[in-house]
Amino acid sequence: MRVSIRTALLACFVLMISIVGAAAQPAPPSAFGASPGASPSAPTPPSDTQSPPPAFSAPQAAPLHAPGLVGAFFSWVVDTQQKMQRELAGGVKRLKTGNPFIAAVGLAGLSFLYGVVHALGPGHGKTVISSYVVANEETVRRGVMISFAAAAIQAMTAVTVIGVFAIALNASGLTIKAWSLQLESASYALIALVGLWLLINQLRGLWRRWRPAPALAAAGAGGPQIDLDDHDHEHGHAFSQGGHSHDHDHHGHHHGDDEACHHIVEAKDVSGPMSWHKIAAVVFSVGIRPCSGAILVLIFALTQGLFWAGVAATFAMAFGTALTVAALAVLALGSRELALKLGGTSGAWVNGVWTACAIGGATLILLFGATLFAASLGPARPF
Amino acid sequence: MKPTALQLGIRRRQIGCLCAAVALLASSPASAHPHVWATVRSEIVFGPDHKIIGIRQAWTFDEFYTAMAIQGLDTNGDGVYSKEELAPLAKVNVESLHEFGYFTFVHFGDDNKPLPLGAPKDYWVEYQDPVSTLHFTLPLKTPLDPRPRPVAVDVYDPTFFVAFGFAKKDPVKVSGSIPADCKVELEKPDAEAAADAKALTEAFFSQLGPNSNFGSQFAQTVNITCKK
Repeated sequence: MRVSIRTALLACFVLMISIVGAAAQPAPPSAFGASPGASPSAPTPPSDTQSPPPAFSAPQAAPLHAPGLVGAFFSWVVDTQQKMQRELAGGVKRLKTGNPFIAAVGLAGLSFLYGVVHALGPGHGKTVISSYVVANEETVRRGVMISFAAAAIQAMTAVTVIGVFAIALNASGLTIKAWSLQLESASYALIALVGLWLLINQLRGLWRRWRPAPALAAAGAGGPQIDLDDHDHEHGHAFSQGGHSHDHDHHGHHHGDDEACHHIVEAKDVSGPMSWHKIAAVVFSVGIRPCSGAILVLIFALTQGLFWAGVAATFAMAFGTALTVAALAVLALGSRELALKLGGTSGAWVNGVWTACAIGGATLILLFGATLFAASLGPARPF
Repeated sequence: MKPTALQLGIRRRQIGCLCAAVALLASSPASAHPHVWATVRSEIVFGPDHKIIGIRQAWTFDEFYTAMAIQGLDTNGDGVYSKEELAPLAKVNVESLHEFGYFTFVHFGDDNKPLPLGAPKDYWVEYQDPVSTLHFTLPLKTPLDPRPRPVAVDVYDPTFFVAFGFAKKDPVKVSGSIPADCKVELEKPDAEAAADAKALTEAFFSQLGPNSNFGSQFAQTVNITCKK
């Protein structure tokens, strides 16, 4: 028995390592010519040495340092991102100066890597998509699909914003920033609404589950409440043993543990079967916020007269962000499964995990969206 | 004593909860993620009476931010981004910096509260391909004599949207009449500083949420110290 606990702890530890790994792996330090612990005494040369040196040499900042182990890790993450961004700028410029084919492949690869790391920052749907798949009975395949759809829409939003404002209207950077922020606010508001909608759905499911039988029967006779039930009971079929799958409306919940299996079915039903409406809402709410990294790359490419390269880079970047978001969604799903397994076969435990995931996930999306929306109404950032 | 089956079950469930918590944290927003990089050069300005009267800032932004900032501002289309053409940008920048305390925090001795700063003066944006620099002077509301107690100037964005780092070359300068026994220098980051458990926890949780103070751990400090 002790062994199994140790195994479980190990599993959790591996999970945590994999999170850190998700942050660290996409950016192997060697690729950027600096070791993670680059000391201030051995600063790395600026990475854009390939381009002809401008007459003016811009002041270079010393690498940032935060105290402690965690600080050192964050410092490395930040430093790596800056190097990547400089590489990306260099990659766009090389399209003009170097071999166009090699430069294009290089730029796509860099954009992809940048996207993988960039997605760890806020605003790419990590929290929303992970919470959504955990709260609903989604599969790994659908989690991945949702992540890719959201990233693709973010990329298209960014291309549209720059295409309309920078190219068609020659609007200033300040105007573009203001519009991006508007879209960001709208995205957070929609996320909060999606969270609220999911929460209401799930609380309603829970209410149906716990309602005493007579009231339920009466409601059933009443009609309209039953019409609100949009579940298709596919899970009931999967778990049914005999004719129980469609009987929700008729049992109360005074069963003993011997009927745990029914609880499993019902608890899963609370989280709700797959619904294209829900998926579309999640994807759209995340997607209308243009990816900030893409906006920067697009404008930079535009100033170099290479807008098409910016568009290609944007989609390569979206592929990268989608991978990170999908990995975290899969991780979240895996953790839920692990939690389900660790509790053993007790129906009450499985029920509890499903209820906690369904309600917790929806609540998290609601709070997350609402908090970020409130924050986005604050004073405009200077830069 | 051998734990009972019930105890084991409870422990396994606790582990299960831990895993669920890990899953949620994995998806929380990480703020180690600046969008703008700025190289800082600061000048501590002393008045004729040897008091600090203000801080002159020059912040040089990265190429990406610069491209964004100057987009559409070459209003006469001559391919040159002049000081006049970039004036609206400078104005918006310094005005919106007000809400963020100008990302400049002046501390007198051990006082926790930063000293009040006046509205920025002499501000302009200078474009030197491929980067741009925002220049402005921040007056102290009340001139400050650094001799009784040391003065510290931090430049950082608490939310870490902007990663401020002092320049490798000439990060700080002095202008005006500094008292004879005083010196101005950039504090070296203390790589050996051992973070205690509390700091570690704070660093981890400070990255969660929009009101984070994540950037403070990267703050760099200019110290103005005087011999007694």
